[in-house]
Amino acid sequence: MKDKSSRAAMQSTRPAQQDDSIAVEAQRWQSDTRGPYVQAHPERRDEFVTQALQWSVNPLYTPADLEAVDFDYLQDLGFPGEYPYTRGTTPNGHRSDFWTMTQVTGFGKGLEWSKRARYMLDQGLSGLILEYDLATTNGYDSDDPLVEGEVGRAGMALDSLEDLEQAFDLPFDKLQYLMSVCNAPQPVNLAMIIAALEKKGVDPKDFVLHIVNGILIEYTCVGRYIYPPKDGLRLATDCIEYIIRHHPNWAPISIIAAQLQPAKANPVQEIAFSLTIACAYIDAVLERGLDIDTVAPYFHFVINVDMDFFEGICKLRAFRKCWARLMRERYGATRPEAMQIRMMTSPTTTALTLQQPLNNIGRLAIMATACALGGAGESMTTPLHDEAHSLPAEDAIRVGAALQHIVAHETGVAETIDPLAGSYYVETLTKQLETAAFAEMDTIFEMGGALKAIESGYFQRALGREQYERNRDIEQGKRKWVGVNHLQLEEEKRQIDIFRLDDSVEAEQVSKVQALRARRDQAAVDRALDEVRIAARNGDNMVPPCLQAVRAYATHGEICHAMRDVFGEHRTDSQLGGI
Amino acid sequence: MPQGTERPLRVLLAKLGMDTHTVGITVIAHALREAGMEVIFTGLKQTPAMVATAAIQEDVDVVGVSSLSAGHTRSLPTLARLLREAGAGDKLLLVGGVIPEEDQPLLQEAGVDKIFTMGADTRDIITYLNEWRAAQQAGHS
Amino acid sequence: MDVAKELLGGNMLAGGRAIRWLDDRDPRGAEVLASVFPHTGRAHIIGITGPPGAGKSTLANAMISQLRSRGRRVGVVAIDPSSPFSGGAILGDRVRMARHTLDADVFIRSIGTRGQAGGLSRSAHDACLILDAMGFDVILVETVGVGQDEIDIVALAHTTVIVGLPGLGDEVQAIKAGLMEVGDVFVINKADREGYEATRQQFELMLHLRAEGRQDSSLHWSPPVLRAVALNDEGIAEIIDATEAHAQFLRDNGEFERLSGQRERAQTLGLMGEALLQLALEKTDPDVLAAVEAREIDPYAAARLLLRSL
Repeated sequence: MKDKSSRAAMQSTRPAQQDDSIAVEAQRWQSDTRGPYVQAHPERRDEFVTQALQWSVNPLYTPADLEAVDFDYLQDLGFPGEYPYTRGTTPNGHRSDFWTMTQVTGFGKGLEWSKRARYMLDQGLSGLILEYDLATTNGYDSDDPLVEGEVGRAGMALDSLEDLEQAFDLPFDKLQYLMSVCNAPQPVNLAMIIAALEKKGVDPKDFVLHIVNGILIEYTCVGRYIYPPKDGLRLATDCIEYIIRHHPNWAPISIIAAQLQPAKANPVQEIAFSLTIACAYIDAVLERGLDIDTVAPYFHFVINVDMDFFEGICKLRAFRKCWARLMRERYGATRPEAMQIRMMTSPTTTALTLQQPLNNIGRLAIMATACALGGAGESMTTPLHDEAHSLPAEDAIRVGAALQHIVAHETGVAETIDPLAGSYYVETLTKQLETAAFAEMDTIFEMGGALKAIESGYFQRALGREQYERNRDIEQGKRKWVGVNHLQLEEEKRQIDIFRLDDSVEAEQVSKVQALRARRDQAAVDRALDEVRIAARNGDNMVPPCLQAVRAYATHGEICHAMRDVFGEHRTDSQLGGI
Repeated sequence: MPQGTERPLRVLLAKLGMDTHTVGITVIAHALREAGMEVIFTGLKQTPAMVATAAIQEDVDVVGVSSLSAGHTRSLPTLARLLREAGAGDKLLLVGGVIPEEDQPLLQEAGVDKIFTMGADTRDIITYLNEWRAAQQAGHS
Repeated sequence: MDVAKELLGGNMLAGGRAIRWLDDRDPRGAEVLASVFPHTGRAHIIGITGPPGAGKSTLANAMISQLRSRGRRVGVVAIDPSSPFSGGAILGDRVRMARHTLDADVFIRSIGTRGQAGGLSRSAHDACLILDAMGFDVILVETVGVGQDEIDIVALAHTTVIVGLPGLGDEVQAIKAGLMEVGDVFVINKADREGYEATRQQFELMLHLRAEGRQDSSLHWSPPVLRAVALNDEGIAEIIDATEAHAQFLRDNGEFERLSGQRERAQTLGLMGEALLQLALEKTDPDVLAAVEAREIDPYAAARLLLRSL
């Protein structure tokens, strides 16, 4: 992967096709002007490389570099809103509409979340992301002894329909979009939301529910899985199929490349792993009798950018093109919508430091600008500058929301479409990323696709190697990081507040779910759970039986356990397999 | 024969509870191995009782817990207590990850020997372990 | 703590400590071993070996469950390679066996090879003795599983289980070359995958050839080829049936004790070799070695010279 293809601009060996006067001039510049200067002023480092891929960066890029990577304007870029979509999937960039500006929410009990969600909508956000606590995402109820101390901490505690009924006390006229992040128990979570919307009388057509449904990446790096990978894939496929058939205006899947990136996937791996993972879902959905032109437009990606400005920007551009090519070349898609990637972009939290946390505001602004320059996608989400410390505080939420408005309204980066196109460096790097990503995808398809790559630990081992090597580079000072290995403060005082959760949240949540179990119709619950087991065994779509169970007030953990009875649980040591 | 290769330090690395973030623990596992230590990984979603049992069966010198969610204020004191009760209180108990300063006194009082917050340099961890071992050996001889 | 006495009573802390001492070549380990040795020789030692990726840990995990359901107390020795450069290791086998952690009748110990080639650790034998003395009925030894050096497991185990998986040409070749000769029970794991039937036929064929090659029919054990999907606990009862039948077969023929005896004899010779070399190294004239390095004298002559001076 770390192919140090140094393609020095001055030494392009390719025969110039037309006029090679620029190459000749560049050589002259090197020997007459730059060479002597560098002799007198040695370069500040031995090797200039990109941050994640460690690809050599030349001192200067010229048209000769574009020629070296076979760049062709019409083939490689085309025009915005047209194949191959490198310059954007919409014909007018962000001149008609800005991207949707969102932020992560979701702490404590349903009521608590609702209060904070209202606060965020009042700050000018139109979409919300709902995250759940680790008990929920791992398929346990709040009173399970395994999850003691975790209830309501990393997100909202969701034990039953009751919790969502309370959480959805929201102005649904202001809320256009809700993203729900709950991968392993996805059919249960989807059923909970559908049932809660029914109870609130919200017309599902007036509102977009977006489920992340990203179980394959959980096996790859995040670890919040429950069932074996093939069963996980089947449950995800059930949800995709159900949404396409019943709520066609909703979004049934996101491939969160933004989870691969913090696990230290480099941009080539991010593109190749997430696109082959998308193919695994697509193949499974196509087997259910849907066609590619219907299915592909439902796929959505969440993509981070890191601090290397150009690696980030070029990654977003390459992502659009790789998706378009893959849909057309591998699946024979014909509808434009099938070839237009949908994406949410985000500055990465892994660039943020625990040290001198206010510096993170600067980092976030730079990364948000990179997202915008890379095309931003339909939406952008910004993490908060104090995330490295703990769960975010309210002040940080306000600053985070303001950041996106600053980038959108004050910098001018969204006034023209794809403003960096044509930069010799940007186009060279974009093309190199595309080529390397396709080579890696070929390797993965060769081994049987993403599911096989997960089952054999290929992805996990690749990431483990990157994690160790990249950390070593920082420790050895090869990469400077302000506050971490550069410009550290001797006696650093903490500068910001931390959002704290009251311990009583857990106790209340536990008694709430226990009270529910005591008063509901237990026989109805038992029947519904049996139906869940039967459907799991028979290979039926799991959403309808989960919906029945949720309506009967079976708890989240109970439904997940019913499926555990059939599928078993996944264990792996390849989390540490990068050896 | 050099001490390092003949009697490697044995370190149990564990993830408690539902926190499944493994980047930190993976980096540390590799670094400790490169430093000549034997690293035993427990896997994810462990309870304090499971970690204590593994530490005893493996007779490790060091138990290192990585924590990136806030559950540590409960699980770590339990782990420290279980180790003591089993007669294994002499094992060095380390924690790494997101540990707010205000939680640190509580953890130290409960028996956590050393806390490395997020972003700690693996070389500092290795130095700390080697110095701890040298002090142990000086104390025994 | 009287480690020897405590471990005979089943104390895990003492058992863990004794294995550590032996692994570290701490003299206290030998003392403990001396006290507990009379209490060993009862456990049925089962080696589990096969190419990487065959699912040895997952199979071991499933076998533990099956053995526990039959009331057996189970010890596990899981071996992973040590880095030849740093001497360090990442030992991750117990992850797959995590569900047995809190079972007081299961003891899982991970050890690194610490410089020993052959897929076993130099301490695997010692760890088995300690677990045996602690009263575990069955001890599963999971090897590193590289190359053909798994043959070492045969010297340690009463019963050797060879794990293969469907449709892997190269691995089958490796198995053919070495393991087919030594296995007592053959398992094709991940048998729900494509290529199972072909692999089974290959196994059967090779076993047939092996049987033909062996004219002495004093031992009438014919190794079964079993199908398993260890991840789903499929086929595991049959595997344990086979290992138990093999143990019974050995006992009926007086082979069980003979194999145990051979093992202790081999271990003794190995230890002697180690000690003799250590002794010889202490008395070795460094000048002679320097002369070899300087190419003034050849290695054979130098070795003869050094041995004579002992």
